[in-house]
Amino acid sequence: MEKKKQGIDEDKLAEGQCNSQETCTTEKRGISEDWLAVWIGLFIFLLSLGVYIGIDLLGFGITTSIWTDLSKALKPVAKPFADLGGIGSLVATYVFLLAVMTIGAAALKAKIGRFVVGFTIVFFISYLCWIIGSWANIAVTTPPDMKKFGITWSLKLTPEAGFIVALVVGLIVGNFFQGFAGAIKEAVRPELYIKTAIVILGGFLGITAAEKLGLATAVMFRGLCAIVEAYLIYWALVYYIARKYFKFSREWAAPLASGISICGVSAAIATGGAIKARPMIPIMVSSLVVIFAVVELLVLPFIAEEFLYKEPMVAGAWMGLAVKTDGAAVASGAVADSLIRAKALASEGVNYKDGWIMGAATTVKVFIDVFIGIWAFILAIVWCTVIECKPGERVRPGQIWDRFPKFVIGYVVTFLVILYIGVNSPALMGKTKAAMGEGNVFRGIFFTMTFFTIGVVSNFKKLWEEGIGRLAAVYLLCLFGFIIWIGLFISWLFFHGVKPPLVTG
Amino acid sequence: MTEEPKLSEELKKMEYEDLLPVEKKLIGYSLILGTVLLGFLVWVSYTFFPAGH
Repeated sequence: MEKKKQGIDEDKLAEGQCNSQETCTTEKRGISEDWLAVWIGLFIFLLSLGVYIGIDLLGFGITTSIWTDLSKALKPVAKPFADLGGIGSLVATYVFLLAVMTIGAAALKAKIGRFVVGFTIVFFISYLCWIIGSWANIAVTTPPDMKKFGITWSLKLTPEAGFIVALVVGLIVGNFFQGFAGAIKEAVRPELYIKTAIVILGGFLGITAAEKLGLATAVMFRGLCAIVEAYLIYWALVYYIARKYFKFSREWAAPLASGISICGVSAAIATGGAIKARPMIPIMVSSLVVIFAVVELLVLPFIAEEFLYKEPMVAGAWMGLAVKTDGAAVASGAVADSLIRAKALASEGVNYKDGWIMGAATTVKVFIDVFIGIWAFILAIVWCTVIECKPGERVRPGQIWDRFPKFVIGYVVTFLVILYIGVNSPALMGKTKAAMGEGNVFRGIFFTMTFFTIGVVSNFKKLWEEGIGRLAAVYLLCLFGFIIWIGLFISWLFFHGVKPPLVTG
Repeated sequence: MTEEPKLSEELKKMEYEDLLPVEKKLIGYSLILGTVLLGFLVWVSYTFFPAGH
């Protein structure tokens, strides 16, 4: 019964199967979102490989080009599916994803009827936001393109503005239409969407790495170095400030330090489990993490565009280090990637290849995730050895695996498979790019749904809740006082002078 | 139905705990190790994984 106190299933929480008061209830227990993301991501990845044997299994996927005439904006990703037209492609994409995700929802033991309705709404609102973001007056970045589209002004936000539109619409829904948000909540799963996207992204980044293996190796090693630093310096500082100046107890300070300094929700939960904190503590910390991650997501990519367009890889690593939660961090990397490449092209005439900035953010974030379990294990040993050991407490090395983010397995598999093919069969590079291009369409859709659903779950009214001030104060002080800036310094140290390859030809 | 715990109540219930010497020591070790490793890892990165420097 101990594990079921306050209606929270501690086993589910410790294994990362849930991250909020609602999802951690003791009622149901299916596959974790983490594992589900692996299977869905790998399934889409495998279908994309059909290109190698001449079968276009995902060619119907919807794409949107920058538009002034909406009727010409939508089309399927592969030419053989051109007859489908834009609307046909959109419907086919929706039906395919609905089928896949509904099977996934059944594995999660979600309420299927509510999931189908919720997913339908999430999908169409998200994609509509993406279409809006591709409007030429929002997306076009260079004078020649403005001339091409016959427009006299543009916000120059690139098509990735669709992500920001989705986030803003999600925030409006989550904060002003809570009845509606409640009706779709079964499909409001930003962690599932981003983890699935990251698994698919592995293949896309595999090609990128295969083309410049030396550079990719350097980026990965430097990403690893950066996160070692982040763990050792960030955590200790935040813990000290929370304990010394804000008088938090150890039970509060440790999850708070992990939530603010490392990786938001999953780190707070893993740390709570490691030091045997009551489960509601990491959940409360997590609710704050999500809100501030949205603020970072809305602000940091634009700061990076303004000040780091000459150091694009520094910007990417910075997004991975400073922005909390997987969704917001990788999403920030995607937005920064697009904004910085556009700015470098417009102001310097330098045309960087896409994906490298986002790749740096993703690499750093994935390494951070991998180390959460190890960090939690170290904390558990330290706590039990020299701070306080609860009666009957045992520290098991198996806890490292329990807390290992399983979606990383999917990411590594897709990355290595494509890297292997890219390095050993250069003649297949054209087909590999076509295959990953098709998978990437679905990665983009999962990204957009991530942005929308992050907005929906970010209830800013939480900031007005009684008692939040002290928690928010330590968060604000640490995040904006030094985490962002130390993250920038570490990123600069390891990534300055490292430039993405240029587009040739 | 289980009642959702309130943040304000949980924070009020929180008891003050002195920062133990062992906590201070661990924080110090972590920061020292972080700083020493910073120099070492930067050297390893620049030496064995050059990428534009």
